[in-house]
Amino acid sequence: MTDPSEALASARAAADRLTKTKRLNASLTPPRELRKSLLLQAQAAHPSGVLYGMPIAVKDNICTLEFTTTCGSKILGGYRSPYEATAVAKLRGAGALIAGKTNCDEFAMGSSTEHSAYGRTLHPTDKTRVPGGSSGGSAALVAAGVVPAALGSETGGSVRQPASFCGVVGIKPTYGRVSRYGLVAFGSSLDQIGVLGRSVHDAARVLSVISGRDTKDATCEDRDSLRLPTVPESLQGFVIGIPKEYFPPDLDAGVRRACDRAIRLLRELGAAVRDVSLPHTPYAVAAYYIIAPAEASSNLARYDGARYGPRFNGSLDIRALYRRTRGEGFGAEVRRRILVGTYVLSAGYYDAYYRRAQQMRALIAQDFRNVFDRGVDLVFTPTTPAPAFKAGEKLADPVAMYLSDIFTVTANLAGLPALSLPIGRIKGLPIGGQFIGQAFVEDDMLEAAYALERVIAAAEEA
Amino acid sequence: MSVSREDVLNIAHLAEFDVDEETLPALAEQMSRILDYVAQISALAASETARPFIPGPDALRFRPDEVKPWPLAFGPEAFAPEFQDGFFLVPKLGQFEDTEAPG
Repeated sequence: MTDPSEALASARAAADRLTKTKRLNASLTPPRELRKSLLLQAQAAHPSGVLYGMPIAVKDNICTLEFTTTCGSKILGGYRSPYEATAVAKLRGAGALIAGKTNCDEFAMGSSTEHSAYGRTLHPTDKTRVPGGSSGGSAALVAAGVVPAALGSETGGSVRQPASFCGVVGIKPTYGRVSRYGLVAFGSSLDQIGVLGRSVHDAARVLSVISGRDTKDATCEDRDSLRLPTVPESLQGFVIGIPKEYFPPDLDAGVRRACDRAIRLLRELGAAVRDVSLPHTPYAVAAYYIIAPAEASSNLARYDGARYGPRFNGSLDIRALYRRTRGEGFGAEVRRRILVGTYVLSAGYYDAYYRRAQQMRALIAQDFRNVFDRGVDLVFTPTTPAPAFKAGEKLADPVAMYLSDIFTVTANLAGLPALSLPIGRIKGLPIGGQFIGQAFVEDDMLEAAYALERVIAAAEEA
Repeated sequence: MSVSREDVLNIAHLAEFDVDEETLPALAEQMSRILDYVAQISALAASETARPFIPGPDALRFRPDEVKPWPLAFGPEAFAPEFQDGFFLVPKLGQFEDTEAPG
């Protein structure tokens, strides 16, 4: 697209689709404000950009200038950032249209988009179910065909898990591939901006644009933008590892069948498939739910009603102001995680919990290095143990909710790139398969995903 | 690991937020369940020599240590709850003010 009239038509069509899908509660931007902004953006966009006229929604924990950034929280209600995220600036530089902010679990803490102060997001094909989380609004909008791609963020699987639940592609890049500048911090050693797309190609080209060095983020690697690989004819020469720990006896039978078919198709594409072991996987969720809350308890200390966001007032004492603002402003899941994080960092418990979790993280990263050092290019696993669950089903039991991240947290702990793509359905509900790659070798992961996506589409058409 | 109501209140005090009396029992029960679950990492033999894993660049790149205006689209007066003459306004630290007040 290079014609300004096409960009305007794209903006209008996206605004229409967003209005029609309002019932999903996937977008937090009022439709009228969004339409006005999209039309203005289409007029200002540069036609030579590689994403010219492409509407891309942005998760509400990524700072934008046009729209509020609330992180799905009451404590940032109405907050408008005075700067925008580097990823958003790069999208705009490539001619994309920022199609509003998407609903998410509060501060990206959740796996169902039920923990948003602005109400839950509905699954796009079954309103009784959750779209996954925390980037559930982004996944739902892509799955509903409202936008071809959206930005999400990952700390423990928050792009791949909703991508799997909603039947779209989700990519979590290597830690340091995409600048975190303007991504509201949750777990700084784990957080990465990721992309959800209706196809591998759509997601990959957005990732290519937002990737690359940024002097505003010291943890962003000094590397060029990701170059997109071509769609391969075969996967001859690829070695794909199947880790037994991701196929436990109680894995959902439909998920296992879909994975078995995907593995057969990978073999038919010419890949060598090998059984491998990542022995510390069973401890990953425990390590994650110590490290991430510990980092969150520190990162979220800044929300106190003094400098930004609403102030829950009524006291003349500043400590009382902090406590009331934080007590009323944070939702239940955020409060739980801050408490757990504060607990595991407190005197007497630091060694038993936090230090052990850090050691476990090192062992999990070493497991992957061992597999890759033996000639394996990629690991293939299910993305989630089961398809989208019913709304409310796991709300009373936080550990049951946390376990839905069991196959995704390892890539975050090890800082590796990972991608989820649809590999089948159970009773109409999508199932995702996941590739995990070596650090900064996203192109291998994308090649395998392109090839698998193509043959799955062909098999389903046949 | 059983977390008591008092434990929750102590941790909430450290974390600087109020907890409603009626949510305390559920919060204590949920925290106990979470801490029981994550305690499984104690199966790992403690090692003082294991190197922690830190993702990202091997060495952080530092910017020049210069004071320069940050390019914000608008100033803090636009988003601060209360702002006056270049300062964020907050209530006084009551206890401190009381003890330091001249007698």
